[in-house]
Amino acid sequence: MDAMDSRKITIEEVKKIAQMSKLNIEGDEEKFSQLLSQTLEYIKILDELDTSKVSETFQVTGLTNVYQDGSQKVTLSREDALKNVKEIIRNLVATKGVFDRE
Amino acid sequence: MSKLNELTVKEALEGLKKKEFTSVDLVKSCLAQIEKFDPKIKAFLRVTSESAIKKAEEADKEISAKGAEAFVNKPLLGIPYAAKDNYSTKNIETTASSKVLEGYVPPFDATAIKKLNEAGAILLGKTNLDAFAHGSSTETSDFGTTFNPWDLSKVPGGSSGGSAAAVASHMVLFATGSETGGSTRGPASWCGVTGVKPSYGRVSRYGIVAMASSTDSPGPLTKTAEDAAVVLRVMAGKDPLDATSSPAEVPDYLAEGKSFSMKGVKIGRPVSYFEMELEEGTRKKIDEAIEVFKSLGAEIIDVDMLSPKYSIAVYTILQRSEVSSNLARLDGIRYGHDRNSFGFEAKKRIMLGAYTLSSGYYDAYYAKAQNRNKCTVRVL
Repeated sequence: MDAMDSRKITIEEVKKIAQMSKLNIEGDEEKFSQLLSQTLEYIKILDELDTSKVSETFQVTGLTNVYQDGSQKVTLSREDALKNVKEIIRNLVATKGVFDRE
Repeated sequence: MSKLNELTVKEALEGLKKKEFTSVDLVKSCLAQIEKFDPKIKAFLRVTSESAIKKAEEADKEISAKGAEAFVNKPLLGIPYAAKDNYSTKNIETTASSKVLEGYVPPFDATAIKKLNEAGAILLGKTNLDAFAHGSSTETSDFGTTFNPWDLSKVPGGSSGGSAAAVASHMVLFATGSETGGSTRGPASWCGVTGVKPSYGRVSRYGIVAMASSTDSPGPLTKTAEDAAVVLRVMAGKDPLDATSSPAEVPDYLAEGKSFSMKGVKIGRPVSYFEMELEEGTRKKIDEAIEVFKSLGAEIIDVDMLSPKYSIAVYTILQRSEVSSNLARLDGIRYGHDRNSFGFEAKKRIMLGAYTLSSGYYDAYYAKAQNRNKCTVRVL
Protein backbone atom coordinates (compact mmCIF):
# COMPACT_ATOMS: atom_id res chain seq x y z
CA MET A 1 0.00 0.00 0.00
CA ASP A 2 0.92 3.65 -0.35
CA ALA A 3 3.26 5.12 2.17
CA MET A 4 1.47 7.47 4.56
CA ASP A 5 2.95 10.67 3.13
CA SER A 6 1.83 9.94 -0.44
CA ARG A 7 -1.79 9.70 0.63
CA LYS A 8 -4.19 12.24 -0.77
CA ILE A 9 -6.16 12.48 2.44
CA THR A 10 -4.24 12.33 5.69
CA ILE A 11 -5.64 11.08 8.98
CA GLU A 12 -5.77 14.71 10.16
CA GLU A 13 -7.85 15.67 7.13
CA VAL A 14 -10.14 12.68 7.67
CA LYS A 15 -10.79 13.88 11.21
CA LYS A 16 -11.59 17.35 9.91
CA ILE A 17 -14.00 16.07 7.24
CA ALA A 18 -15.72 13.81 9.77
CA GLN A 19 -16.23 16.75 12.11
CA MET A 20 -17.55 18.85 9.26
CA SER A 21 -19.98 16.05 8.34
CA LYS A 22 -20.92 15.50 12.00
CA LEU A 23 -19.86 11.87 11.89
CA ASN A 24 -18.23 9.84 14.61
CA ILE A 25 -15.49 7.75 13.01
CA GLU A 26 -13.42 7.01 16.08
CA GLY A 27 -11.17 4.02 15.50
CA ASP A 28 -11.71 4.00 11.73
CA GLU A 29 -9.57 7.06 10.85
CA GLU A 30 -6.81 4.98 9.32
CA LYS A 31 -9.23 2.94 7.23
CA PHE A 32 -11.05 6.02 5.93
CA SER A 33 -7.78 7.75 5.07
CA GLN A 34 -6.75 4.71 3.04
CA LEU A 35 -10.11 4.19 1.28
CA LEU A 36 -10.79 7.86 0.47
CA SER A 37 -7.24 8.28 -0.84
CA GLN A 38 -7.73 5.27 -3.12
CA THR A 39 -10.91 6.75 -4.56
CA LEU A 40 -9.29 10.14 -5.14
CA GLU A 41 -6.37 8.38 -6.79
CA TYR A 42 -8.81 6.62 -9.14
CA ILE A 43 -10.75 9.73 -10.14
CA LYS A 44 -7.50 11.40 -11.14
CA ILE A 45 -8.07 9.60 -14.45
CA LEU A 46 -10.28 12.58 -15.39
CA ASP A 47 -7.19 14.74 -15.77
CA GLU A 48 -6.61 12.90 -19.05
CA LEU A 49 -9.63 14.69 -20.54
CA ASP A 50 -9.57 18.28 -21.73
CA THR A 51 -12.86 19.93 -20.87
CA SER A 52 -11.65 23.53 -20.86
CA LYS A 53 -14.03 24.35 -23.73
CA VAL A 54 -17.03 22.50 -22.31
CA SER A 55 -19.51 24.29 -20.08
CA GLU A 56 -20.86 22.77 -16.87
CA THR A 57 -24.02 20.66 -16.76
CA PHE A 58 -26.35 21.80 -14.03
CA GLN A 59 -29.42 19.84 -15.10
CA VAL A 60 -30.55 17.53 -17.86
CA THR A 61 -34.31 18.11 -18.10
CA GLY A 62 -34.19 21.42 -19.98
CA LEU A 63 -36.95 22.68 -17.68
CA THR A 64 -36.67 26.22 -16.40
CA ASN A 65 -38.76 28.25 -13.94
CA VAL A 66 -41.10 25.45 -12.86
CA TYR A 67 -44.00 26.78 -10.82
CA GLN A 68 -46.90 25.11 -9.09
CA ASP A 69 -50.36 26.22 -10.17
CA GLY A 70 -51.33 27.11 -6.61
CA SER A 71 -53.88 24.36 -6.18
CA GLN A 72 -51.52 22.37 -3.95
CA LYS A 73 -51.73 24.46 -0.79
CA VAL A 74 -50.94 22.11 2.09
CA THR A 75 -48.83 19.00 1.73
CA LEU A 76 -48.55 18.01 5.38
CA SER A 77 -50.61 19.03 8.40
CA ARG A 78 -48.74 20.28 11.46
CA GLU A 79 -49.85 17.19 13.35
CA ASP A 80 -48.41 14.89 10.67
CA ALA A 81 -45.22 16.90 10.38
CA LEU A 82 -44.63 16.54 14.13
CA LYS A 83 -45.41 12.81 14.26
CA ASN A 84 -41.80 11.60 14.18
CA VAL A 85 -40.24 14.47 16.13
CA LYS A 86 -38.13 13.47 19.16
CA GLU A 87 -38.93 16.49 21.32
CA ILE A 88 -41.85 18.87 20.91
CA ILE A 89 -42.15 22.12 22.84
CA ARG A 90 -45.28 24.26 22.43
CA ASN A 91 -46.23 22.39 19.28
CA LEU A 92 -42.85 23.18 17.73
CA VAL A 93 -39.78 21.09 16.97
CA ALA A 94 -37.24 21.38 19.78
CA THR A 95 -33.61 21.42 18.64
CA LYS A 96 -30.33 21.58 20.46
CA GLY A 97 -29.04 25.08 21.07
CA VAL A 98 -26.77 26.42 18.36
CA PHE A 99 -24.61 28.42 20.78
CA ASP A 100 -23.13 27.15 24.02
CA ARG A 101 -23.61 23.55 22.96
CA GLU A 102 -22.24 20.92 25.26
CA MET B 1 -53.15 -23.37 -14.56
CA SER B 2 -50.02 -22.23 -12.78
CA LYS B 3 -50.20 -21.13 -9.17
CA LEU B 4 -51.74 -17.66 -8.77
CA ASN B 5 -48.59 -16.02 -7.42
CA GLU B 6 -46.72 -17.19 -10.52
CA LEU B 7 -48.98 -15.24 -12.88
CA THR B 8 -47.84 -12.14 -14.70
CA VAL B 9 -49.70 -8.87 -14.11
CA LYS B 10 -51.37 -9.27 -17.50
CA GLU B 11 -52.53 -12.84 -16.77
CA ALA B 12 -53.75 -11.92 -13.30
CA LEU B 13 -55.77 -8.97 -14.64
CA GLU B 14 -57.43 -11.25 -17.20
CA GLY B 15 -58.29 -13.80 -14.51
CA LEU B 16 -59.71 -11.16 -12.19
CA LYS B 17 -61.83 -9.70 -15.01
CA LYS B 18 -63.18 -13.15 -15.88
CA LYS B 19 -63.72 -13.84 -12.15
CA GLU B 20 -61.70 -17.04 -12.35
CA PHE B 21 -60.25 -16.12 -8.95
CA THR B 22 -60.41 -13.20 -6.54
CA SER B 23 -57.87 -10.61 -5.46
CA VAL B 24 -57.97 -12.20 -1.99
CA ASP B 25 -56.92 -15.53 -3.59
CA LEU B 26 -54.09 -13.72 -5.37
CA VAL B 27 -52.88 -11.89 -2.26
CA LYS B 28 -53.07 -15.01 -0.09
CA SER B 29 -51.15 -17.01 -2.68
CA CYS B 30 -48.35 -14.40 -2.61
CA LEU B 31 -48.36 -14.23 1.19
CA ALA B 32 -48.04 -18.03 1.37
CA GLN B 33 -45.05 -17.87 -0.98
CA ILE B 34 -43.44 -15.16 1.19
CA GLU B 35 -44.00 -17.22 4.33
CA LYS B 36 -42.50 -20.28 2.69
CA PHE B 37 -39.43 -18.79 1.03
CA ASP B 38 -38.61 -15.42 2.53
CA PRO B 39 -36.97 -16.83 5.65
CA LYS B 40 -34.27 -18.04 3.25
CA ILE B 41 -34.26 -15.28 0.61
CA LYS B 42 -34.83 -12.32 2.96
CA ALA B 43 -36.26 -10.06 0.27
CA PHE B 44 -38.69 -8.33 2.65
CA LEU B 45 -37.98 -6.02 5.56
CA ARG B 46 -41.67 -6.08 6.54
CA VAL B 47 -44.86 -7.60 5.20
CA THR B 48 -48.21 -5.82 5.45
CA SER B 49 -50.50 -8.88 5.34
CA GLU B 50 -53.42 -7.47 7.28
CA SER B 51 -53.93 -4.27 5.31
CA ALA B 52 -53.26 -6.15 2.07
CA ILE B 53 -56.05 -8.67 2.67
CA LYS B 54 -58.42 -5.86 3.64
CA LYS B 55 -57.62 -3.99 0.44
CA ALA B 56 -58.03 -7.17 -1.59
CA GLU B 57 -61.51 -7.65 -0.11
CA GLU B 58 -62.39 -4.09 -1.12
CA ALA B 59 -61.03 -4.71 -4.62
CA ASP B 60 -63.12 -7.86 -4.93
CA LYS B 61 -66.24 -5.95 -3.91
CA GLU B 62 -65.53 -3.36 -6.54
CA ILE B 63 -64.92 -6.00 -9.20
CA SER B 64 -68.11 -7.90 -8.41
CA ALA B 65 -70.11 -4.65 -8.41
CA LYS B 66 -68.71 -3.08 -11.58
CA GLY B 67 -67.20 -6.02 -13.50
CA ALA B 68 -64.59 -5.19 -16.15
CA GLU B 69 -65.66 -1.54 -15.89
CA ALA B 70 -63.80 -1.37 -12.55
CA PHE B 71 -60.46 -1.67 -14.36
CA VAL B 72 -60.96 1.35 -16.60
CA ASN B 73 -59.82 3.85 -13.97
CA LYS B 74 -57.92 1.30 -11.91
CA PRO B 75 -55.65 -0.55 -14.34
CA LEU B 76 -53.92 -2.51 -11.55
CA LEU B 77 -56.97 -3.28 -9.41
CA GLY B 78 -56.36 -6.19 -7.04
CA ILE B 79 -52.71 -6.78 -8.10
CA PRO B 80 -50.24 -7.38 -5.22
CA TYR B 81 -46.87 -5.61 -5.33
CA ALA B 82 -43.87 -4.80 -3.16
CA ALA B 83 -42.12 -1.45 -2.72
CA LYS B 84 -38.41 -0.89 -2.26
CA ASP B 85 -37.97 0.45 1.25
CA ASN B 86 -36.70 3.84 0.06
CA TYR B 87 -40.24 4.62 -1.16
CA SER B 88 -42.15 6.49 1.57
CA THR B 89 -45.32 4.64 2.51
CA LYS B 90 -47.92 6.35 4.66
CA ASN B 91 -48.26 4.75 8.10
CA ILE B 92 -45.82 1.98 7.15
CA GLU B 93 -42.26 2.08 8.48
CA THR B 94 -39.75 3.25 5.84
CA THR B 95 -36.03 2.87 6.57
CA ALA B 96 -34.16 2.74 3.24
CA SER B 97 -32.45 -0.21 5.02
CA SER B 98 -30.62 2.20 7.33
CA LYS B 99 -30.63 2.20 11.12
CA VAL B 100 -30.76 6.00 10.97
CA LEU B 101 -34.38 5.71 9.82
CA GLU B 102 -35.32 2.64 11.90
CA GLY B 103 -38.80 3.18 13.34
CA TYR B 104 -39.59 6.11 11.03
CA VAL B 105 -43.23 6.01 9.91
CA PRO B 106 -43.85 8.50 7.07
CA PRO B 107 -47.02 10.60 7.29
CA PHE B 108 -47.29 10.57 3.48
CA ASP B 109 -46.96 8.34 0.42
CA ALA B 110 -44.33 8.83 -2.30
CA THR B 111 -46.11 10.01 -5.45
CA ALA B 112 -45.30 6.74 -7.27
CA ILE B 113 -46.85 4.76 -4.38
CA LYS B 114 -49.90 7.04 -4.36
CA LYS B 115 -50.37 6.47 -8.09
CA LEU B 116 -50.00 2.69 -7.77
CA ASN B 117 -52.45 2.57 -4.87
CA GLU B 118 -54.94 4.78 -6.70
CA ALA B 119 -54.65 2.41 -9.67
CA GLY B 120 -55.84 -0.36 -7.33
CA ALA B 121 -52.51 -2.14 -6.75
CA ILE B 122 -52.13 -3.70 -3.30
CA LEU B 123 -48.93 -3.19 -1.27
CA LEU B 124 -47.73 -6.45 0.29
CA GLY B 125 -44.61 -5.10 1.96
CA LYS B 126 -41.29 -3.28 1.80
CA THR B 127 -38.16 -4.82 0.32
CA ASN B 128 -34.50 -4.74 1.27
CA LEU B 129 -31.84 -2.59 -0.41
CA ASP B 130 -28.31 -1.42 0.17
CA ALA B 131 -28.62 1.18 2.95
CA PHE B 132 -29.72 4.44 1.27
CA ALA B 133 -29.23 2.55 -2.03
CA HIS B 134 -25.45 2.81 -1.61
CA GLY B 135 -24.33 -0.38 -3.31
CA SER B 136 -24.99 -3.06 -5.91
CA SER B 137 -25.61 -6.20 -3.85
CA THR B 138 -27.81 -5.40 -0.75
CA GLU B 139 -24.73 -6.20 1.35
CA THR B 140 -24.58 -2.69 2.82
CA SER B 141 -28.15 -3.02 4.21
CA ASP B 142 -28.15 -2.45 7.97
CA PHE B 143 -30.71 -5.27 8.27
CA GLY B 144 -28.87 -8.10 6.54
CA THR B 145 -28.24 -9.25 2.98
CA THR B 146 -30.86 -10.57 0.55
CA PHE B 147 -30.06 -13.81 -1.25
CA ASN B 148 -30.48 -14.66 -4.90
CA PRO B 149 -33.52 -16.95 -5.29
CA TRP B 150 -31.77 -18.90 -8.08
CA ASP B 151 -28.78 -19.68 -5.89
CA LEU B 152 -28.86 -18.82 -2.19
CA SER B 153 -25.08 -18.68 -2.02
CA LYS B 154 -25.16 -15.61 -4.25
CA VAL B 155 -26.43 -12.03 -3.86
CA PRO B 156 -29.32 -10.67 -5.95
CA GLY B 157 -27.55 -7.52 -7.11
CA GLY B 158 -28.59 -4.10 -5.90
CA SER B 159 -29.48 -1.71 -4.72
CA SER B 160 -33.06 -2.86 -5.56
CA GLY B 161 -32.06 -6.45 -4.69
CA GLY B 162 -35.00 -7.22 -2.40
CA SER B 163 -37.51 -6.13 -5.05
CA ALA B 164 -35.82 -8.17 -7.80
CA ALA B 165 -35.58 -11.26 -5.59
CA ALA B 166 -39.25 -10.91 -4.54
CA VAL B 167 -40.42 -10.76 -8.18
CA ALA B 168 -38.09 -13.58 -9.31
CA SER B 169 -39.35 -15.90 -6.55
CA HIS B 170 -43.01 -15.07 -7.31
CA MET B 171 -43.67 -13.49 -3.90
CA VAL B 172 -45.34 -10.55 -5.66
CA LEU B 173 -46.48 -9.87 -9.22
CA PHE B 174 -44.29 -6.78 -9.52
CA ALA B 175 -42.19 -4.44 -7.40
CA THR B 176 -40.77 -0.94 -7.48
CA GLY B 177 -37.09 -0.16 -7.80
CA SER B 178 -35.00 2.96 -8.14
CA GLU B 179 -31.83 3.58 -10.07
CA THR B 180 -29.02 6.09 -10.09
CA GLY B 181 -26.31 3.94 -11.62
CA GLY B 182 -27.59 0.42 -12.30
CA SER B 183 -29.70 -0.10 -9.18
CA THR B 184 -32.79 -1.37 -11.05
CA ARG B 185 -31.31 -2.95 -14.17
CA GLY B 186 -28.47 -4.65 -12.27
CA PRO B 187 -30.59 -6.71 -9.85
CA ALA B 188 -33.16 -7.35 -12.61
CA SER B 189 -30.38 -8.94 -14.63
CA TRP B 190 -28.93 -10.87 -11.69
CA CYS B 191 -32.36 -12.28 -10.79
CA GLY B 192 -33.67 -12.83 -14.33
CA VAL B 193 -36.56 -10.36 -14.25
CA THR B 194 -37.39 -7.21 -16.22
CA GLY B 195 -36.21 -3.84 -14.87
CA VAL B 196 -36.68 -0.43 -16.44
CA LYS B 197 -34.71 2.71 -15.69
CA PRO B 198 -36.90 5.40 -17.22
CA SER B 199 -35.52 8.74 -18.36
CA TYR B 200 -34.80 11.09 -15.47
CA GLY B 201 -37.98 13.00 -14.60
CA ARG B 202 -40.37 10.44 -16.10
CA VAL B 203 -41.35 9.13 -12.63
CA SER B 204 -41.64 11.58 -9.73
CA ARG B 205 -38.95 11.42 -7.06
CA TYR B 206 -41.25 12.89 -4.42
CA GLY B 207 -41.19 10.75 -1.29
CA ILE B 208 -38.27 8.59 -2.36
CA VAL B 209 -35.37 8.78 0.08
CA ALA B 210 -32.95 10.92 -1.91
CA MET B 211 -29.59 9.54 -2.93
CA ALA B 212 -28.31 11.61 -5.88
CA SER B 213 -31.15 13.95 -6.76
CA SER B 214 -29.88 14.89 -10.21
CA THR B 215 -29.97 11.28 -11.41
CA ASP B 216 -32.36 9.24 -9.17
CA SER B 217 -34.90 7.46 -11.41
CA PRO B 218 -37.66 5.29 -9.92
CA GLY B 219 -38.94 2.45 -12.12
CA PRO B 220 -40.68 -0.95 -12.18
CA LEU B 221 -39.37 -4.52 -11.73
CA THR B 222 -41.66 -7.04 -13.39
CA LYS B 223 -41.80 -10.56 -14.80
CA THR B 224 -42.24 -9.44 -18.43
CA ALA B 225 -41.66 -6.39 -20.64
CA GLU B 226 -45.43 -6.14 -21.18
CA ASP B 227 -45.98 -5.86 -17.43
CA ALA B 228 -43.28 -3.19 -17.21
CA ALA B 229 -45.18 -1.16 -19.81
CA VAL B 230 -48.40 -1.37 -17.80
CA VAL B 231 -46.80 -0.55 -14.43
CA LEU B 232 -44.57 2.26 -15.72
CA ARG B 233 -47.56 3.95 -17.31
CA VAL B 234 -49.17 4.12 -13.85
CA MET B 235 -46.00 5.32 -12.05
CA ALA B 236 -45.03 7.97 -14.62
CA GLY B 237 -46.21 11.55 -15.05
CA LYS B 238 -45.84 15.18 -14.10
CA ASP B 239 -45.96 15.79 -10.35
CA PRO B 240 -46.34 19.28 -8.87
CA LEU B 241 -44.38 18.01 -5.85
CA ASP B 242 -41.29 17.26 -7.97
CA ALA B 243 -40.24 20.26 -10.04
CA THR B 244 -37.89 18.12 -12.13
CA SER B 245 -40.65 15.71 -13.23
CA SER B 246 -41.33 15.81 -16.96
CA PRO B 247 -44.46 17.53 -18.28
CA ALA B 248 -44.39 15.28 -21.38
CA GLU B 249 -47.55 13.23 -21.78
CA VAL B 250 -47.33 9.61 -20.63
CA PRO B 251 -47.90 7.38 -23.65
CA ASP B 252 -49.70 4.04 -23.64
CA TYR B 253 -46.43 2.08 -23.62
CA LEU B 254 -48.17 -1.24 -24.20
CA ALA B 255 -50.06 -0.07 -27.31
CA GLU B 256 -46.97 1.74 -28.60
CA GLY B 257 -44.84 -1.32 -28.04
CA LYS B 258 -47.21 -3.51 -29.97
CA SER B 259 -47.33 -1.26 -33.02
CA PHE B 260 -43.62 -0.43 -32.89
CA SER B 261 -41.45 -1.58 -35.76
CA MET B 262 -37.70 -2.07 -35.53
CA LYS B 263 -37.36 -1.53 -39.26
CA GLY B 264 -34.95 1.34 -39.90
CA VAL B 265 -34.29 1.99 -36.22
CA LYS B 266 -30.65 2.85 -35.52
CA ILE B 267 -29.20 1.30 -32.37
CA GLY B 268 -25.85 2.56 -31.12
CA ARG B 269 -23.22 0.14 -29.90
CA PRO B 270 -20.84 2.04 -27.58
CA VAL B 271 -17.47 0.72 -28.73
CA SER B 272 -15.50 1.70 -25.61
CA TYR B 273 -17.85 -0.38 -23.42
CA PHE B 274 -16.90 -3.54 -25.27
CA GLU B 275 -13.21 -2.81 -24.84
CA MET B 276 -13.67 -3.22 -21.09
CA GLU B 277 -13.32 -6.57 -19.39
CA LEU B 278 -16.66 -8.33 -19.83
CA GLU B 279 -17.85 -11.69 -18.58
CA GLU B 280 -18.03 -14.07 -21.54
CA GLY B 281 -21.70 -14.88 -20.90
CA THR B 282 -22.58 -11.20 -20.86
CA ARG B 283 -20.76 -10.51 -24.11
CA LYS B 284 -22.44 -13.50 -25.75
CA LYS B 285 -25.92 -12.44 -24.63
CA ILE B 286 -25.42 -8.91 -25.93
CA ASP B 287 -24.16 -10.23 -29.27
CA GLU B 288 -27.23 -12.48 -29.47
CA ALA B 289 -29.51 -9.53 -28.72
CA ILE B 290 -27.79 -7.52 -31.46
CA GLU B 291 -28.52 -10.33 -33.93
CA VAL B 292 -32.19 -10.38 -32.87
CA PHE B 293 -32.48 -6.61 -33.38
CA LYS B 294 -30.79 -6.94 -36.79
CA SER B 295 -33.21 -9.68 -37.86
CA LEU B 296 -36.07 -7.37 -36.91
CA GLY B 297 -34.75 -4.75 -39.30
CA ALA B 298 -32.75 -2.50 -36.97
CA GLU B 299 -29.45 -1.01 -38.02
CA ILE B 300 -26.58 -1.41 -35.57
CA ILE B 301 -24.02 1.38 -35.67
CA ASP B 302 -20.86 1.79 -33.62
CA VAL B 303 -20.92 4.96 -31.52
CA ASP B 304 -18.16 6.71 -29.69
CA MET B 305 -19.21 7.30 -26.09
CA LEU B 306 -17.16 8.52 -23.16
CA SER B 307 -15.36 5.41 -21.94
CA PRO B 308 -16.80 3.91 -18.73
CA LYS B 309 -13.37 4.36 -17.11
CA TYR B 310 -14.06 8.12 -17.22
CA SER B 311 -17.82 8.09 -16.69
CA ILE B 312 -17.49 5.97 -13.54
CA ALA B 313 -15.10 8.58 -12.14
CA VAL B 314 -17.57 11.35 -13.04
CA TYR B 315 -20.37 9.38 -11.41
CA THR B 316 -18.31 8.79 -8.28
CA ILE B 317 -17.69 12.50 -7.72
CA LEU B 318 -21.22 13.68 -8.51
CA GLN B 319 -22.93 10.87 -6.59
CA ARG B 320 -20.79 11.26 -3.44
CA SER B 321 -21.22 15.04 -3.54
CA GLU B 322 -25.01 14.79 -3.76
CA VAL B 323 -25.08 12.08 -1.09
CA SER B 324 -23.20 14.24 1.38
CA SER B 325 -25.63 17.08 0.74
CA ASN B 326 -28.79 14.91 0.82
CA LEU B 327 -27.84 12.98 3.94
CA ALA B 328 -26.95 16.21 5.76
CA ARG B 329 -30.65 16.57 6.58
CA LEU B 330 -30.62 13.43 8.73
CA ASP B 331 -30.04 14.78 12.22
CA GLY B 332 -32.56 12.82 14.28
CA ILE B 333 -34.43 15.97 15.24
CA ARG B 334 -37.53 15.83 13.03
CA TYR B 335 -37.45 12.08 12.41
CA GLY B 336 -35.14 9.09 12.63
CA HIS B 337 -32.02 8.76 14.76
CA ASP B 338 -28.88 10.84 15.05
CA ARG B 339 -25.84 10.52 12.82
CA ASN B 340 -24.13 7.90 14.98
CA SER B 341 -26.43 5.34 13.34
CA PHE B 342 -24.92 5.69 9.86
CA GLY B 343 -23.23 2.55 8.54
CA PHE B 344 -19.65 2.46 7.26
CA GLU B 345 -20.50 2.81 3.56
CA ALA B 346 -22.75 5.85 4.10
CA LYS B 347 -20.04 7.51 6.22
CA LYS B 348 -17.46 6.86 3.50
CA ARG B 349 -19.66 8.38 0.80
CA ILE B 350 -20.68 11.38 2.89
CA MET B 351 -17.04 12.12 3.71
CA LEU B 352 -15.81 11.86 0.13
CA GLY B 353 -18.64 14.14 -0.97
CA ALA B 354 -17.93 16.63 1.80
CA TYR B 355 -14.31 16.66 0.66
CA THR B 356 -15.01 17.16 -3.07
CA LEU B 357 -17.53 19.92 -2.29
CA SER B 358 -15.41 21.70 0.27
CA SER B 359 -13.90 25.07 -0.44
CA GLY B 360 -10.58 24.72 -2.19
CA TYR B 361 -11.47 21.38 -3.74
CA TYR B 362 -14.79 22.28 -5.41
CA ASP B 363 -13.14 23.47 -8.62
CA ALA B 364 -10.66 20.64 -8.65
CA TYR B 365 -13.28 17.93 -8.34
CA TYR B 366 -17.02 18.80 -8.47
CA ALA B 367 -16.85 21.51 -11.16
CA LYS B 368 -14.57 19.35 -13.30
CA ALA B 369 -16.95 16.43 -12.99
CA GLN B 370 -19.79 18.71 -14.09
CA ASN B 371 -17.76 19.54 -17.23
CA ARG B 372 -17.19 15.88 -17.95
CA ASN B 373 -20.83 15.16 -17.26
CA LYS B 374 -21.61 17.47 -20.13
CA CYS B 375 -19.34 15.36 -22.34
CA THR B 376 -21.36 12.30 -21.36
CA VAL B 377 -24.64 14.05 -22.04
CA ARG B 378 -23.45 15.40 -25.38
CA VAL B 379 -22.30 12.03 -26.59
CA LEU B 380 -25.60 10.50 -25.49
